[in-house]
Amino acid sequence: MEKKKNKVLLIGWDAADWKIIDKLMANGLMPAMKSLVESGVRGKLATLDPPLSPMLWTSMATGVRPYRHGVIGFVEHDGKGGVRSVSSHYRKVKAFWNMLTMEGYKSNVIAWWPSNPVESINGCMVSNLFQQEKKGRETMERENWEIPEGTIYPESLKEQLMELRVHPHDITGNLVMPFVPQAVALDKKKDKRLTVISKFIAHATTVHAACTELMETQEWDLTAVYHDAIDHFSHGFMKFHPPMMPNRDKEEYELFKDVVIGAYVFHDMMLDRLLKMIDDDTTVIIVSDHGFHSDHLRPPHIPKVPSGPAIEHAPYGIFVAKGPGIKKGERIHGASVLDVTPTLLTLFDLPVGRDMDGKPLVNIFDHPKTVQYIDSWEKVDKPGGELVSVSEESLEATNEAALQQLVDLGYIDEMKLDDSNEDQQEYLKGIIKENQFYLAKSYISGGKHEEALEILLEIEDKSNPDFRFLIDIINSAIKTKRYPLAKEYLNYVRKNELMSDAYMDTLEAKIALGLNDGETALKMLKSAIKSKPDAIEILIELGRLFNSLRELTKARECFLKVIEKDPDNAHAYHGAGVSYLREENYEEALDYFLNAVDKMHHYPMAHFHIGETLALMKEYSAAIGSFEVALTMNPDLPKTYRWLIDLNEIIENQKAVDYYKNKLKSKIIDEKVIITGLPGEKLMSVIDLLRENGFDVKGDPLNEAQWANPLNNDILEGVKEHICYLPENMIQNLLARYDCRFVVVNDEAEKVSEFINSKARLKKSSYNADLIDGLVKMDTTARIWLGQQPNLDIFYINELEDDKNEMLISFVKN
Amino acid sequence: MKKKQEPVVIMMNGKPFEVPPGGSLGVLALGNVGVRAWKKAKEKFEKKDVPGDGKEKK
Repeated sequence: MEKKKNKVLLIGWDAADWKIIDKLMANGLMPAMKSLVESGVRGKLATLDPPLSPMLWTSMATGVRPYRHGVIGFVEHDGKGGVRSVSSHYRKVKAFWNMLTMEGYKSNVIAWWPSNPVESINGCMVSNLFQQEKKGRETMERENWEIPEGTIYPESLKEQLMELRVHPHDITGNLVMPFVPQAVALDKKKDKRLTVISKFIAHATTVHAACTELMETQEWDLTAVYHDAIDHFSHGFMKFHPPMMPNRDKEEYELFKDVVIGAYVFHDMMLDRLLKMIDDDTTVIIVSDHGFHSDHLRPPHIPKVPSGPAIEHAPYGIFVAKGPGIKKGERIHGASVLDVTPTLLTLFDLPVGRDMDGKPLVNIFDHPKTVQYIDSWEKVDKPGGELVSVSEESLEATNEAALQQLVDLGYIDEMKLDDSNEDQQEYLKGIIKENQFYLAKSYISGGKHEEALEILLEIEDKSNPDFRFLIDIINSAIKTKRYPLAKEYLNYVRKNELMSDAYMDTLEAKIALGLNDGETALKMLKSAIKSKPDAIEILIELGRLFNSLRELTKARECFLKVIEKDPDNAHAYHGAGVSYLREENYEEALDYFLNAVDKMHHYPMAHFHIGETLALMKEYSAAIGSFEVALTMNPDLPKTYRWLIDLNEIIENQKAVDYYKNKLKSKIIDEKVIITGLPGEKLMSVIDLLRENGFDVKGDPLNEAQWANPLNNDILEGVKEHICYLPENMIQNLLARYDCRFVVVNDEAEKVSEFINSKARLKKSSYNADLIDGLVKMDTTARIWLGQQPNLDIFYINELEDDKNEMLISFVKN
Repeated sequence: MKKKQEPVVIMMNGKPFEVPPGGSLGVLALGNVGVRAWKKAKEKFEKKDVPGDGKEKK
């Protein structure tokens, strides 16, 4: 056989998590993985919501989100009024094995979920039902263990692969002992958990045997193998993983505490074998679709809803790559399950589809890699493999077995055979509705709240309320600014007591913020935190609100409490960073922002704030780098372009200045600069400074009439000018009319009061205490509003200093 | 009288390893090679366990 060059071995370990792997590598229990990590790159792979494996592995194989690839949930409509386990039938787009087939590359694809029935690709395909020993609801004995149709392509490999299957009944005490050292103390017939462990070991062994056989006997450019065992072991036994969870039975803990460790160690042993089968020209990639909580974040209970076990999934899976041209011993950031196919294509020097949601991970390469693009692989008119045809009878038998497996794992409810026809119809309806819910979740995850809301409103049924649908309706209504709709559903949930008051208070606070009602928002969040003082989501919202109100110490207290509870919470690090930035404590701010992007790389606002902090620390080149990262993640943020223009001017890179100016021009039409803040001495100094520098600033902060009448059209007319002062109560009315950026002058109410009184004495008019109170309230409302507008470009001024003056002038000029 | 059988030996980490009929995770981790060897060892063991009267279990 001719030896192929530049091959790729892609290994999928469902639910593999760095927290466990790192500990085992440190203890010498995963040497194969350790060698790979040390000689390649590693990173976290961000999952998608909902974190359900068939949807995620299909996203991994296609580079697109579930609402585009069509594989939704664990089951699908069978087109005859029933349901079947997710299959290849519903995938609407091409997978990497089709793309490689089109370009003449040979692939082995083993047990990918879902891949039944298999496809006639250039190479070999073994479906995810190959290792299945069930036929319908019955377990086939090893003597008459059939292979269902549609599980192997080409058919000629059937006999060769069949003999490599290991039946769960073959798994002996010897093999179970590494997972449960005291297995002999258990009665296998009575304790089903040993049976379950035997099944997982048998399935993993079968998949691995098929993979090694194909690698050894077939010519290939890509081998892709998927193992579900770590996920299954974790769902069954993570609750016994050390440290012991509160309220667990000590005896059970002692019996099963080694199961998860055993699973990882066994996978490392299988990995060792695979690594010994390849040469140095082969690139190895290991991925997982999500992580799995193994510490204090383990949920104490699994919700009794479909897909309830997914609550145990953690948001980051693993990514490892080693091979020719790949960096060694480095970490990469910002990878997502959507990036796997674009990266594979780039490894084969094949073009990435512009319609893909993922991107090639070019940062894994030790030299710049040129990425080629095409509009879409869907438009390439070449044969990429067809689904093999399977008889109805075989399809039904394999389907029933697959459905039963999903019931056993707790992902779907069981339909009883003796249920009435009516009950069965209800069951089917429920399953289809559940899939629609996952589709809506997928839209939400892709930022398409309108589409999600449409589906959610259709499936929501007030006669049979499901709190998950209702909560997402409220959240999507808030995102699409349909506040009355959000309020309507919030009242309904409250009335029917479908969720805790604390959670509903948090949602009500979000609605209030959307309506610029800061007072209600604060009241609601304070009420929520009183009943749930440790609730992460509430603390984050409260912290953000305090940041908006410039109550920075209180804000920080909230975020630090979250960090104590969940040290990986990127939003908490970001929030704490913002509080330090507003205090002009740049060192601390930078530290927190860097932590935020370390926890979640794809966080454009955190990168933006790193840029802002570095710029204020006069680290101009580094700041430019951070703003450029923020821009690649969110190209629609005008304020990032402005920073890049200013900073490139400072370092005298005129080419970059022109480039970003042109980019900005295409984004912004007729933009205004609004100067606002309490009408104190500081604000007057800022306006004077600008006027001294030749800017024609319209508006007068000491014109009392402006504060009293927020709808004064004369004042808004003044905004026709490029630069204008407006009182804070006016700024929310502007965005509907103009593109604006803001200079916000921070001042203290007492100082402003003194200033106004001194001016009043000069003018012999009267300013009373009520007016001062009114100004302070106006300031609070404006800050809440500004705090809720992440896209606005705001330049905050605490003190006027020479270096700040330069930046202010530059900000106003651009 | 029991029939004597030669043990099944495979190479593991560069050294010969006698495959136990009850299997071992190390053998299963070898994939195709390990599964075949284990099945063979089991088969031999089952034959050995049956009296050599010509009616061995197949």
